[in-house]
Amino acid sequence: MVNFTVDEIRSMMDQKKNIRNMSVIAHVDHGKSTLTDSLVSKAGIIANAKAGETRFTDTRKDEQERCITIKSTAISMYFELEDKDLVFIKDPDQRDKNVKGFLINLIDSPGHVDFSSEVTAALRVTDGALVVVDCVSGVCVQTETVLRQAIAERIKPVLFMNKMDRALLELQLEQEDLYQTFQRIVENVNVIIATYNDDGGPMGEVRVDPSRGSVGFGSGLHGWAFTLKQFAEMYAEKFKIDVVKLMNRLWGENFFNPKTKKWSKQKDEENKRSFNTYILDPIYKLFDCIMNYKKEETEVLMGKLNITLKPEDKDKDGKALLKVIMRSWLPAGEALLQMIAIHLPSPVVAQKYRAEMLYEGPLDDEAAVGIKTCDPNGPLMMYVSKMVPTSDKGRFYAFGRVFSGKVSTGMKARIMGPNYIPGKKEDLYEKAIQRTILMMGRYVEAIEDVPSGNICGLVGVDQFLVKTGTITTFKDAHNLRVMKFSVSPVVRVAVEPKNPADLPKLVEGLKRLAKSDPMVQCIIEESGEHIIAGAGELHLEICLKDLEEDHACIPIKKSDPVVSYRETVTEESDQICLSKSPNKHNRLFMKATPFPDNLAEDIENGKVNPRDEFKSRARYLGENYDYDVTEARKIWAFGPDGTGPNLLVDCTKGVQYLNEIKDSVVVGFQWATKEGVLAEENLRAVRFNIHDVTLHADAIHRGGGQIIPTTRRCLYACVLTAMPRLMEPVYLCEIQCPEVAVGGIYGVLNRRRGIVFEEQQVAGTPMFVVKAHLPVNESFGFTADLRSNTGGQAFPQCVFDHWQILPGNPLEVGSRPYNIVQDTRKRKGLKEGLPDLSQYLDKL
Amino acid sequence: MFYLIGIGLYDEKDITVKGLEIVKRVDRVYLEYYTSIICKNKEELENFYGKSLIIADREMVEQNSDIILKDADVEDVALLVVGDPFAATTHTDLILRARNKNIQTKIIHNASIFNAVGCTGLQLYNFGETVSIPYWTDKWKPDSFVKKIEFNLSSDLHTLCLLDIQVKEPTAESLTKKVKTYLPPRFMSVKEATTQLLELVYSQICRNLEEETLCVGLARIGADDQQIVACSLIEMTSVDLGPPLHSLVIAASNLHPIEQEYIKQFRL
Repeated sequence: MVNFTVDEIRSMMDQKKNIRNMSVIAHVDHGKSTLTDSLVSKAGIIANAKAGETRFTDTRKDEQERCITIKSTAISMYFELEDKDLVFIKDPDQRDKNVKGFLINLIDSPGHVDFSSEVTAALRVTDGALVVVDCVSGVCVQTETVLRQAIAERIKPVLFMNKMDRALLELQLEQEDLYQTFQRIVENVNVIIATYNDDGGPMGEVRVDPSRGSVGFGSGLHGWAFTLKQFAEMYAEKFKIDVVKLMNRLWGENFFNPKTKKWSKQKDEENKRSFNTYILDPIYKLFDCIMNYKKEETEVLMGKLNITLKPEDKDKDGKALLKVIMRSWLPAGEALLQMIAIHLPSPVVAQKYRAEMLYEGPLDDEAAVGIKTCDPNGPLMMYVSKMVPTSDKGRFYAFGRVFSGKVSTGMKARIMGPNYIPGKKEDLYEKAIQRTILMMGRYVEAIEDVPSGNICGLVGVDQFLVKTGTITTFKDAHNLRVMKFSVSPVVRVAVEPKNPADLPKLVEGLKRLAKSDPMVQCIIEESGEHIIAGAGELHLEICLKDLEEDHACIPIKKSDPVVSYRETVTEESDQICLSKSPNKHNRLFMKATPFPDNLAEDIENGKVNPRDEFKSRARYLGENYDYDVTEARKIWAFGPDGTGPNLLVDCTKGVQYLNEIKDSVVVGFQWATKEGVLAEENLRAVRFNIHDVTLHADAIHRGGGQIIPTTRRCLYACVLTAMPRLMEPVYLCEIQCPEVAVGGIYGVLNRRRGIVFEEQQVAGTPMFVVKAHLPVNESFGFTADLRSNTGGQAFPQCVFDHWQILPGNPLEVGSRPYNIVQDTRKRKGLKEGLPDLSQYLDKL
Repeated sequence: MFYLIGIGLYDEKDITVKGLEIVKRVDRVYLEYYTSIICKNKEELENFYGKSLIIADREMVEQNSDIILKDADVEDVALLVVGDPFAATTHTDLILRARNKNIQTKIIHNASIFNAVGCTGLQLYNFGETVSIPYWTDKWKPDSFVKKIEFNLSSDLHTLCLLDIQVKEPTAESLTKKVKTYLPPRFMSVKEATTQLLELVYSQICRNLEEETLCVGLARIGADDQQIVACSLIEMTSVDLGPPLHSLVIAASNLHPIEQEYIKQFRL
């Protein structure tokens, strides 16, 4: 049972140096939730015996049934370090001198790529991550995706090699092979870290290193784990070597010769790798004795290792005994919690380097200083990263992290949505926080207030925010930066109620669905169609189920899934396009050109973004994309939605009053990039140049009503004259299977326009990994198809990777893109046929 | 033949005899109803002209002029414009479009605020460039017209300010939608115009315009209850001149003695 009270937790919350906010991230099925259970069991929320069976953090019924995590869940835990371990913490900001206890706020997140938006939301509110890797499968596509995201959010990782029991029991790996496997995984992880982190950057070195204790090994299912620190402690006395020094000896190219008692850096016939001798050997021996029922030897070993069993465990044997013995020898909770407390940063440390990433405002205002110093007496700055449904239907807890100040029950605060602009009133509410709460797995507990550096939930804020937002008490505060998702909502279905009279319920249900999921988009098309867009088939399936059962509570009809496309251009417009305003007195002259390669990605990753200082952005565009720097300084807008991967550039010279129509032109640009000319899909990778503008002499005749529709028409003409093309989304698809099934995979991929670009055996296993690019449009039913063609032996993971041009001219009747354009237009209730250039292009 | 007929300043009787004769005999008569308004409703006009009128709103004149010009090469069509046909600039384009279709055109002039503003006693010779003052929105606050007022003031010229008329203005949100929703009609009053101007004075966008600059407010010129008031810019912000239409004159700093004498009668 719970061995701490809310009051105790509350007093811990003030010891901000002793707090660790962390997420558990991994590829699907690498054992996060099970591992989390053993942590929770150590921190005392559920009984020890249940660890490994309960999936404490999977709170939903379908999560427990499917055995996958769908929603991320937070738990607070309390853990005390012993004096001998406390010396490992050297940074004074990582621990209060007089406090031994640590408050660990842990978020368990889903591993399936379709739910990676949940991971993004979890990462935002934490400072460290426990990266779990199945040591049998190794580093997989989702491991890389989440790790990359973690580094980008400046989250420090530690690594845990899970499922060692499988390596020993099922694969029967030799000691050296297992060491090599571990070594390779560590290397793979460090390569990913090195790719996305700059060692000289503000976070410093974040590599994981077993000899420093930032890599754990073990089995979450069996409830045991260790780092080199545990073993070094066991041997330190025997060897009379300092623990830290010994840890260095226990990993890597260190060999020990038992006869000469000499250490060496090279392997020779006499000596053995220290990791194998001192760590793997005892574990292998224990496994061997127990699984082969060598009772006496087992007891001798237990004596040596100081393991005593409880009376009720004495008559167990086989796997059950193995579990009990391993668990009491190397309790997982102890090792992991130590690793977390020692190696993951406290909010005080982390917020120093995260503040500049998190805050959009000037880095010297009160809010920024409050975040940087994690000051509980500063102005309140809290980021709401997601909404969690309450037992009360239709209401949500707003879940998030307090970065500065305190949030308390009943206090008045400014609730700012993502569209809030400082000084304006849009997307801003000043309301009282009804209640602050602690969220612990399935339970919530009311709490008076929560100071900076902690994670909590708020009641009564849900009605003012759609998904995320900033809560503050500082009048001039800017927003905390919105999260960037690694996946896009590229798969969509249309829904309607089976009984038309239920429409209002559906609309209400869609609103709730949009709140409850960080990424799903619920859109009403102008044709009146209700669209749900998600990351993939599974994501949509769960969303639809939630909608039907929890949010709308009505039977629903749904269309077949369709993918979103993008519209783009492949050449420069073949003429300068002119469009005249309705009163004919204002004239716009523009051209469209395609982006150079990678610029669209740079914009999406935020490397080039609308908030950059314009001069340095222009320099970057000049250096990397050969853009004329003078022109690049005059980027009027990114679109759609002000941030998208299309640019509007002012290339005019000396046009009077141009500034007065700028806003209207930008509105028209946002409109035209959101709803492209071909099928009203978003535009992508198009740069529009304004070459000249003629304006009416009088301001009243060049207002929005004249300029906005004209801009749109002109941009449409630009696209139509620049060889327009459709782009389709493409998945990176990773398939694991035994060798015999590889042939079947190729067959399925070929039929679905998939292209294999890598095929590799997982070292030390009979498994193969095939990597391919697969158009999302061809992915519906892919998993089932693949299983039936490989006798159920192949498991794919698909994650959105890039957009690719669909070959063929959409303006050519009968071509493939033409048909897609026509289908889309029909679905959206648009006029069928091709857009007519003469509608958009005017003559001089 | 396509006739563009000015119907004058205020009511049905302001049309010229020549204009009325044409209205009575043509096949179709449109009434342009957005660049200015006449203070009588359509029925009253129809009764007096003895002819039914088709209302032509902005979308029709600007984007669907083909409807208006249909068959104008063989039939006679008239478009009635409040004031003078060429005081509102859009209609030059309509004439061009008619010419392109080989339709003959004829213009019947009438009085407009451009000449009627002489009723203030300020000499028409002393007017500089005319400006329009648009309604500001949260995002769109054009101030380019200020430069022209400044220029006029520095050259010692009066400025005639036409005030915004929004008969059927789409809402900002619906501008990017296919289905338009419209704002209720509104007409800028002298009070609103001077309030906006004063804001520019305070934010120092407008340098030689001051609180004390002499302004003349005009309302419903040509009507029996027309009103003219002369006072300082700041005083004008609290003057209510009643129903539309309003216009504003910003007087030059040095008035001719006759102008001074004449304008005295309108002082507050």
